[in-house]
Amino acid sequence: MNIMEKSETNISSSRKIKFKPFKTLFSIREASLATIILITATAMTFLTPGFMTRSNILTTLIGLSMDGIITVAMTIVLVMGGIDLGVGSVLAFASVLAGVLAIKVGLNIWLAVFITLLASVSAGSLVGYFVTRIGLSPFITTLGMMSIARGLAYVLTKGSPLSLGVISPAFDYIGQGSFLGIPNLILILILLVLIFDFLMRRSAVFRQIYYVGSNEKAARLSGINVDRIKFGVYVLSALLSGLAGILTLARFGVATPTAGVGAELRAIAGAVIGGASLSGGEGTIIGALLGVILVALVNDALILLNVSVYWQSLVTGIVLIAAVTIDMLAHHRRTS
Amino acid sequence: MKKLIILLVILTLMFGLIGCGQKTTDTNSKQATPTSNTASSPLIGSKNEKYVMVTFVSGIEYWKGAFKGMEAAAKNLGVSVQYTGANEYDINQEVTVLEQVISQKPDGILVTAINPDAMAVPIKKALDAGIPVVTFDADSPKSGRYSFLATSNYQAGVTAARYLAKLTGGKGEVALITIPGQLNHEERAAGFKETLAKEFPEMKLVSVQDGKSDQVATAQAMGAIMQTFPNLVGVFTTEASTGVGAATAVKEANKVGKVHIVSFDTDKGTLDNIKAGVIDATLAQGTWHMGYWGMMFLYHLKHDLLKPIDGDWKTAKVLPLPPVVDTGVTVVTKENADFYYSK
Repeated sequence: MNIMEKSETNISSSRKIKFKPFKTLFSIREASLATIILITATAMTFLTPGFMTRSNILTTLIGLSMDGIITVAMTIVLVMGGIDLGVGSVLAFASVLAGVLAIKVGLNIWLAVFITLLASVSAGSLVGYFVTRIGLSPFITTLGMMSIARGLAYVLTKGSPLSLGVISPAFDYIGQGSFLGIPNLILILILLVLIFDFLMRRSAVFRQIYYVGSNEKAARLSGINVDRIKFGVYVLSALLSGLAGILTLARFGVATPTAGVGAELRAIAGAVIGGASLSGGEGTIIGALLGVILVALVNDALILLNVSVYWQSLVTGIVLIAAVTIDMLAHHRRTS
Repeated sequence: MKKLIILLVILTLMFGLIGCGQKTTDTNSKQATPTSNTASSPLIGSKNEKYVMVTFVSGIEYWKGAFKGMEAAAKNLGVSVQYTGANEYDINQEVTVLEQVISQKPDGILVTAINPDAMAVPIKKALDAGIPVVTFDADSPKSGRYSFLATSNYQAGVTAARYLAKLTGGKGEVALITIPGQLNHEERAAGFKETLAKEFPEMKLVSVQDGKSDQVATAQAMGAIMQTFPNLVGVFTTEASTGVGAATAVKEANKVGKVHIVSFDTDKGTLDNIKAGVIDATLAQGTWHMGYWGMMFLYHLKHDLLKPIDGDWKTAKVLPLPPVVDTGVTVVTKENADFYYSK
């Protein structure tokens, strides 16, 4: 009897194995995203000659690099079950602070960078404090930080952009140079993505972020210091946003208080397309990067294909809904 | 399988929408060099030539006038044009869009610079790639662009002062609502203030306020000014939304006709207020000219039709074009307001 059952199971499982990789492929968010990106890129190569050129690809990648760093931060925050609406404003604040310290105050640029990173950490600590100790909702707290950071950027520049000139060739090199043919900003983004993707998958401390996001009560009961995790994540988010701001300054040589407006929503879109959930506990950094790449790719396509500018915002929204819908259906299949 | 079908359906929808949204400026055969009929005038171009306008906050009404001018010139020359730009007020977006446009190797680029220093780099890249570039409305002077077309903001301020003086009989208390810290507004304000001081000594500028590009903030500021200075006879607002805010305040204070308003630009709100008699006049910038002559400049550069000296202007290091062109300003009142509604 037992032997008969065993052989039956063997046969049926070998039949299933043929279709399993295909199904699993599409239920892995990163794989379906990578496929969509490949299909879009191939279509674009045929539709317009300017697409598959080195200059276009590099430009698109550099263009998304700052949003990419912000999206890495946002993904970690979303996985934790929180949200950070202040990322774009902290970017602007950091960009402006570093610029003002270097030009108006006359500090050495690296000292200015260091102070700016400290200031970003302070901003994140402030948010972390209000969320964990005072108990305000992350939405409200980071909404407040959004206005405060942006406001400080305006106060520091009195509304007008600040031109850096040639402050330091090394600083400019970071923002504008390349290493082995690849622009530094792209390398920095890839480095951050690899580091944080690894940490989120393998580091015990970072795995705790997933537990906190899935079920905060259970996480607390199982001994995780939820407050410490939350505090740390908001500090990290502000630090990454500050870094993005400094890199923006290095890239353009100009500190504007209007930098990064709307970045938080773009970051949420990228993270969610990449698999993060607004209720927490899900999401990967690589997925988020693919999400950002997809949106940037679609925007590039719209420009190269001469689609009216009015469609651009619309299409970003459609891509977001489409990606989330596909994933919802994939989930539905798996659980039903 | 179902997922795959849905995936394909959504992708098809996406590309279908892109197809719908695509403009009909067609490029059937991708020829590298523009062909022109050498037997007749060199000003007859080919539809294969493409010239691109790049802006920021690309969706606003203000650029429409400029692009209309560019389209008119393109029609006269027989070439194609494309309109694109950054959706938002973001340096990164406009730089990225401009560089993506450059990778398409257009025959010329007419661009307005969100920031003079940040845009200098991609403009230089275009010039190095042999693409002629002309700036309009907001310049990038160090980029090496061949020319810059815009309405002189200072002169606009001068015109506003003189017109307001005409309305108020050359005497009385007036105010100014502007956007401090923004270069073009500072220049308009300077033209206004200095003309009042020089030409109309019996007019007194009693208040300068920040309109914050916001109707509500301006309405509040205007209300406060009228409270503090009950004998106020006029105000100059350097931006469209500021003008609409001031108009609202004047209406609410029941001072239409007593407080004259001279505003800026010709958006629908402003024009409606002019026809209703609340705003006396607005200053229309020569945006159509920025587009039309910008396109003409680009065509001449692309086809190498400029000969300011005997020999090659490049080797002689002579400017091929006037470096700065003032596209002028028109005073728009009830009489000609109808012409300025965009269709």
